[in-house]
Amino acid sequence: MRIEKFDAVVVGAGLSGLRAGLELSREWNVGVISKVYPVRSHSGAAQGGINAALGNRPDGKEDTPKIHAYDTVYGSDYLADQDVVMYMTEEAPRIVVEFESMGTPFSRLESGLIAQRPFGGAGFPRTCYAGDRTGHALLHTLFEQCVRQGVKFYNEYFLVDLFKADGQIAGLIALDIKTGEFVSFRAPNVILATGGFGRVYKESTNALINTGDGNGAAYRVGVPMQDMEFVQIHPTTLYGSNILISEGARGEGGLLYNSKGERFMQKYAPKAMELAPRDIVARSIQTEILEGRGFEDAYVHLDLTHLGKNRIMERLPGIREISMYFAGVDPIEKPIPILPGQHYSMGGIGTKYNGDYGETELPGLFAIGECSCLSVHGANRLGGNSLLETSVFGRYIGRTLLKKGKSISASEDSIQKAEMAALYIIEELLDKWNSNTGKKPNEIKEKMGETMNRYLSVYRNQPDMEKALKIIEGLQLDFKDINIPTTERKLNWGLIRALELRNMMDIAEATVRGAIWRKESRGAHWRTDYPTRNDKEYQVHTMIYPGEKGMEIKTKPVKLGIFETKERKY
Amino acid sequence: MKETQKFLVYRNSGEGIIRYEGYEVPLKPGYTILDALFYIQDHFDSTFAFRYSCRGAICGSCGITVDKIPDLACKTQISAVKTKRNPIGLPEFHFGEHPNWDKENEILIEPLPNMPVLKDLVVNMDNFWKFYVEVQPYFTRDYNDVAPESKQSPEEMNAIERLVYCIACGLCWACPVNATNPHYLGPMQLAKADRFLRDSRISDEHEKEILERVLKDDGVLACEKYFVCNRVCPRGVMPGTAINDIRKKMEERK
Repeated sequence: MRIEKFDAVVVGAGLSGLRAGLELSREWNVGVISKVYPVRSHSGAAQGGINAALGNRPDGKEDTPKIHAYDTVYGSDYLADQDVVMYMTEEAPRIVVEFESMGTPFSRLESGLIAQRPFGGAGFPRTCYAGDRTGHALLHTLFEQCVRQGVKFYNEYFLVDLFKADGQIAGLIALDIKTGEFVSFRAPNVILATGGFGRVYKESTNALINTGDGNGAAYRVGVPMQDMEFVQIHPTTLYGSNILISEGARGEGGLLYNSKGERFMQKYAPKAMELAPRDIVARSIQTEILEGRGFEDAYVHLDLTHLGKNRIMERLPGIREISMYFAGVDPIEKPIPILPGQHYSMGGIGTKYNGDYGETELPGLFAIGECSCLSVHGANRLGGNSLLETSVFGRYIGRTLLKKGKSISASEDSIQKAEMAALYIIEELLDKWNSNTGKKPNEIKEKMGETMNRYLSVYRNQPDMEKALKIIEGLQLDFKDINIPTTERKLNWGLIRALELRNMMDIAEATVRGAIWRKESRGAHWRTDYPTRNDKEYQVHTMIYPGEKGMEIKTKPVKLGIFETKERKY
Repeated sequence: MKETQKFLVYRNSGEGIIRYEGYEVPLKPGYTILDALFYIQDHFDSTFAFRYSCRGAICGSCGITVDKIPDLACKTQISAVKTKRNPIGLPEFHFGEHPNWDKENEILIEPLPNMPVLKDLVVNMDNFWKFYVEVQPYFTRDYNDVAPESKQSPEEMNAIERLVYCIACGLCWACPVNATNPHYLGPMQLAKADRFLRDSRISDEHEKEILERVLKDDGVLACEKYFVCNRVCPRGVMPGTAINDIRKKMEERK
């Protein structure tokens, strides 16, 4: 087995991973590994923008990081860790200015300053944007700067398993997709930045590569999964393909109509209307569809036609293209058919109480971006805060580690043992998959996706979720017997997708278990059998550990104390 | 609507053996070529290789050749392949012998042209990225995070808007120059240079440096104005027009 040695390894080359890699590479020997070329990462699909209280617009002059933090905490339904949120919103104006300084082509106001637009759940227009392709603009900018600095990339390497030695992280085993060889990346610091895992659901806005590879690997070395029950269902995904239709479309004035021609948000959020937070708009749309006021019982209309051709072409050209390519609808002429779909995971790799932001309980292992749970989004994320999180904490983790100095590795001997043990487990697994006679991975994946879609979407209840748990437990057993050829390792994406499913199975199970455990309604976790928030018992983070007999649920306190807990109304 | 669709697919083990394999895939409304490729991988051969990521025409992973037209697999609807308006005047791309292609009824799937095939539809893009790095398409000023940001008018921003939305998919390498000159920097790489040349925030010195890097025999001067790149680009970047603009800039500086 080939062995590569680094001071730190970053897994994932989206915005979080690139920003961490850029910072760390200034002084350390760092490898950034990614299963795709960096610019293929899902950060590039983000449309709407990145929040920062810059106050560039006259109607945003009064905005401050503190108000931004308040909106974020309020939007999180008081489950976000308030100290981390404050750090993020204070860094926000600086990180956006830094992006501009690196060359990001932001849209501009007449004054020449970065343009900002209103977004759901925000007190001021604070979402900075580059048309409706903000993620793409930021991702390419960061990649450019990484190329400039000579960041060492290992593209098309798939993270299979982490290994630890002497009680700390020691490295990871990756599959070099092009050669089909396993490679050991040894490092006393590993930063997981593997992004979202929406593909656990059948209908998701996520890229097909968003399968939680970091989450699965971290869980297998004993790191808990945190707040997995909080899954953001985006209110507006395109009917048919579930491709994201940005909140920016409503920020620019897009309106929602049911099949009776009613602007139904009047009933659900009379003040905020279409710009209420995502969980509320998603539930409203779902209710309209369930009660028979959708089109074809499946979708509602997002109408942009009144904005006119010029405004659509200027501010939402990407949305127009997507609607035309994937639904055959030109939004200049006709409303877009939309429905809610899985979009973002507030939960993720569990972090240590009172540790550095992103630090896990396993020394040397860190997690940032969507794969992590820091938790800045709590029970519901506000639009424009995810791009912000990625870059703020990518930079933060880099700076923090550099300041701490290089870590001492475990002994050579124990690293070697751990590495060989990890490799042995993988080889054994692949042998078994090759000779098994059970189901094809695809069958299991389909069933998992359908189950999550059906029982763990915007409305949840005990009997439904118990059904889901039974199904997922059955699928876990089926998965042990999957059959897939594994002898050809080179460029074998069939094999990679089976390895991805290995990660997603645990993620799905943890999501269901967390959701059953949490007997209240908070943010995106909405239970018809427990329709109110219960702060006394549940204003805590859910932590799911791998135990002797399967998943074990514990809790972690929420960092409060900056903002007083209130009822959440829009 | 038809219930199934036949495909004739280029297969290459990577060791030089090329064959064309037929597959029949059940159709669903809105099904794309990418959906069909996954169906083949899931139901016929798990080792069938192709790249993918976003399935929303923004990541640039899934460039292939469909019925002899370079395109993104994810944005091509199966039902539209035989009827859609295709770019005209493209060169003929040859990957292997497929004497039995039923043009009317079968969709022909092949890799991107002018790049070595690693396996099936997966091409080696090393040169694509190597030339990207060679152009050094990035801001060279020291970045900082101290407000306020540098200013740019909406009009100045509009001047680069078309160029910044390149997704680096490699479709433009269908250019006939790429077919014959392995050292040609390539349409994408030159368009990326133009993206910085036209940015109002660039310094004179940086502009000069970029021009020096692209104004060479295997750069701007190699372009023979076929404009194939403009026609196949899925994002409307118009690399050929960008290359012409660099030429004009060069004239101005003389």
